[in-house]
Amino acid sequence: MIFFIIRRLVMTVFLLLLVSLITFAIFFLVPRLAGQTAYQLAAEYVGRNPVPSEIHQMEAKLGLNAPLWLQYGRYIKGIVVGVHYNSGTSTSFCPFPCFGYSFRNQEPVWPQMMSDAPVTLSIAIGAAVLWVVGGVSVGVLSALRKGTLFDRFSMGVALAGVSLPIFFTGLIALELFSYKWPIFPNVHYVGITQNPLSWASNLVLPWVATAFLYSALYARITRAGMLETMGEDYIRTARAKGLPERRVIGKHALRATLTPLVTIFGMDLGLLLGGAILTEVTFSMQGLGAFTIQAINNQDLPEIMGVVMLASFFIVLANMVVDILYTVIDPRVRIV
Amino acid sequence: MKRRVTTTALAAVALAALAVTTACSSSSTSAVGKGSTTPNGAPAFGEGITTTVNPSSVSSNGTITMDDHNTPDSFDGGNTYYAWVLDFTHLYELPMFVYKSCPGLCGDTLVPGLAADMGTVSDNGLTWTFHIQPDVKFENGTVVTAADVKYAIERTYDRSVLANGPTYYQALLTDPTYPGPYKDRAKNLMGLTAIDVPNNTTLVFHLQAPFPDLPYVLAFPSSAPVPPASDTGSNYQLHPMSTGPYMFQSYQLNKQLVLVKNPNWNASTDPNAKQLVNKIIVNLNVNQSDIDNRLIAGDIDADVYGVGMATAGGAKVLASSTLKANADDAINGFARFAYLDTQVAPMNNLHCREAVEYAVNKTAVQDAWGGAFEGGAIASTVMPPTVIGYKQFDYYKALSMPGGDTADAKTQLAACGKPNGFNTSLAYRSDQPDETAAATAIQASLAQVGIKVTLRGYPTGNYYTDFAGDPAYMAKNSISMAMGGWGADWPNGYGFLDELSNGNSIASTGNTNISMLNDPVINNLFKSSGTLSGAARTAVWSEVDQQIMKDAAIVPGVYQKALLYRNPDLTNVYVQQAYGMYNYAVLGLKS
Repeated sequence: MIFFIIRRLVMTVFLLLLVSLITFAIFFLVPRLAGQTAYQLAAEYVGRNPVPSEIHQMEAKLGLNAPLWLQYGRYIKGIVVGVHYNSGTSTSFCPFPCFGYSFRNQEPVWPQMMSDAPVTLSIAIGAAVLWVVGGVSVGVLSALRKGTLFDRFSMGVALAGVSLPIFFTGLIALELFSYKWPIFPNVHYVGITQNPLSWASNLVLPWVATAFLYSALYARITRAGMLETMGEDYIRTARAKGLPERRVIGKHALRATLTPLVTIFGMDLGLLLGGAILTEVTFSMQGLGAFTIQAINNQDLPEIMGVVMLASFFIVLANMVVDILYTVIDPRVRIV
Repeated sequence: MKRRVTTTALAAVALAALAVTTACSSSSTSAVGKGSTTPNGAPAFGEGITTTVNPSSVSSNGTITMDDHNTPDSFDGGNTYYAWVLDFTHLYELPMFVYKSCPGLCGDTLVPGLAADMGTVSDNGLTWTFHIQPDVKFENGTVVTAADVKYAIERTYDRSVLANGPTYYQALLTDPTYPGPYKDRAKNLMGLTAIDVPNNTTLVFHLQAPFPDLPYVLAFPSSAPVPPASDTGSNYQLHPMSTGPYMFQSYQLNKQLVLVKNPNWNASTDPNAKQLVNKIIVNLNVNQSDIDNRLIAGDIDADVYGVGMATAGGAKVLASSTLKANADDAINGFARFAYLDTQVAPMNNLHCREAVEYAVNKTAVQDAWGGAFEGGAIASTVMPPTVIGYKQFDYYKALSMPGGDTADAKTQLAACGKPNGFNTSLAYRSDQPDETAAATAIQASLAQVGIKVTLRGYPTGNYYTDFAGDPAYMAKNSISMAMGGWGADWPNGYGFLDELSNGNSIASTGNTNISMLNDPVINNLFKSSGTLSGAARTAVWSEVDQQIMKDAAIVPGVYQKALLYRNPDLTNVYVQQAYGMYNYAVLGLKS
């Protein structure tokens, strides 16, 4: 197991290098191939009415006048070794992992991302708990009560959940429970260490809006998986042996359904950890998702690089955890 | 010994101030102004445009909370160009001059801030002398000196450190190649030869050419003093040294700013600001829809960005008489229009341009911008009515025939040799829904006279640097029209029209004279304005405006309006005309 983890971590490093290369190519190389010059790129960060000497200064400061391969090399070196930065009156050192300095606000990218990460983590993990518990429970009950009113109603709601985007359900939730009936007034992020109760109460609506979408999907997958598994011979055998129904369903039927659930859970959580963009923007919470939107709107290339690499890391990490969980769920699976 | 006298150029500023003050004398007897309410005592819709709503000098222990859907370019007064930040910085920075805190036209009046008076200028207009108040202090109790003001201006010269602010000093003062105090600090600190500091309270500015509007330039927060020892370059935005009624308590970058009372602020040194609450909080990156709903619910006190509510929020407010009474629909000083590039065929022909002027359906464009309430008033001039020097005229029947004048348009098409119309392209910012709708409205109305317009959408971020503001790109791609908008850097005709129409302002990138207008008539008007004063100078701006329209270089769209909502608990609320939004420096709370 230890060797597996080490191997995966090493692969993760190579994968992140590949992601950084592709991202760098998209945002730095492709515009060059389309005819944009370093001078034109630097002009975007000099404010209004720049004169050529000012643009050249900015080119030099941002390192845009260096060959692209050198710019990429410096960027990777900065992540690994750190980089010095001159704010004008002093020089500071940005240690590993230094994702460079924002082209727009000239502040280091990593601390900005780490400042936003707790928001995204709070939204993602809280919503994940809700959608797993809620989605799987509803799916199991629907499978056991196939064809009943409960089954039809819950699958109808699941269909709605899958169809309605978060910015719709979120805005409806805010309209009803924050503005009209102020059960959750003035929703904003409060750090868990600041006030745990306020942290939780402010996250209820974002959690529910996010979980509604995902739990619908999980309910449908669980139901389908359970229905398939419940028809298997070994389930009939387990019942014939006199096992309690709860054990038949929980230990035997549901377990077989968990593998695909864990697979998509890993992907979903990994993607969310990289930035719950729609939820954060809807509920005005400055997490990694909102950071991503601003980076793109501002064409802040170091910030875009940083958030893409961080999101990739979460996805790779989530997949690694999923692979480990497979061995727990299904004893037939062995890590090679 | 050369006698320094109050020259005509100095009189220009003083007379302009007097004229504006006279125009609003009924509404202002103090720096805040008298309030006005409906007969039953409740505020009414639009009250905050011409009067002060809930006037009060009472302090409270409360907290004012404001939200912004975006982030500032910087809270460093030397590194910002956003309109709301220019307004907001008065809470913690005192520049040499400020706009008088009063509602209505009065709010365009320039008055001394840190300066002790309006300054004096030499006979040839090349040397300005200012004195600062001797007893203004920073938040740490240190007395402000003239050297601190000089340094504040010096630091704006290095745009590799402070990229965002205006660049007027470099263009106006002698020593334009000064590199700034950040490179070779030992040599360059206080090394700007264009500004002398003979003593602790005197600054002498040396100009390249006469420029009567220098006090307006010094109204930017970039003239607010910065002690060299406290400067941290690009990090100064995290905690500027306050000379205003409030100071930074904390600033989480792009998240939240908290201001608290500045214990070393003296109200007598700045009658145009007030210190009435304990704390001011600004939350950044809040969804606009959320801001509007929080305002209506009373959870926050103002939308600090100041360009008005979004469509949904505005509809809620306008549909309710109670909510509407708390709203103001102010002309915010911005104009929306379309440039016609005079260098790109067929718009290089005056008659073709005039055909477009006549053909555009102004009502459809107004609707695209949000209608009469949230979009703006149909414009027939380039300058909006809130700019000093504005005069109304209507060469192309924008007001008399707002649906477009196809008959005159076809006459002009025939005159330009294209009786059946022509093909051209229109650049616009595709990530701005209102601008997209306005471009589409223009396309549809021009199609009525046979002008087929291809829409070319570009992102806002590099619209001016790489596309519409790149003359070579426009010419190469035969894009003869471009959507645009403008707000004056200062509320007179020079501040509004110079960068739009002066031939000297054409640039190879970041160009704002997208019409590529290089009309000797206009250029000479700008040049002559440097030697004029008072009413004669003010009259120049309307002449420039009229010449732009005679050249048919710009198709006016709307004088933009902002539907602003004021929390009923706020005191001293009014629209500061110079900024087109509420004056944040005087706000208080009822409780």
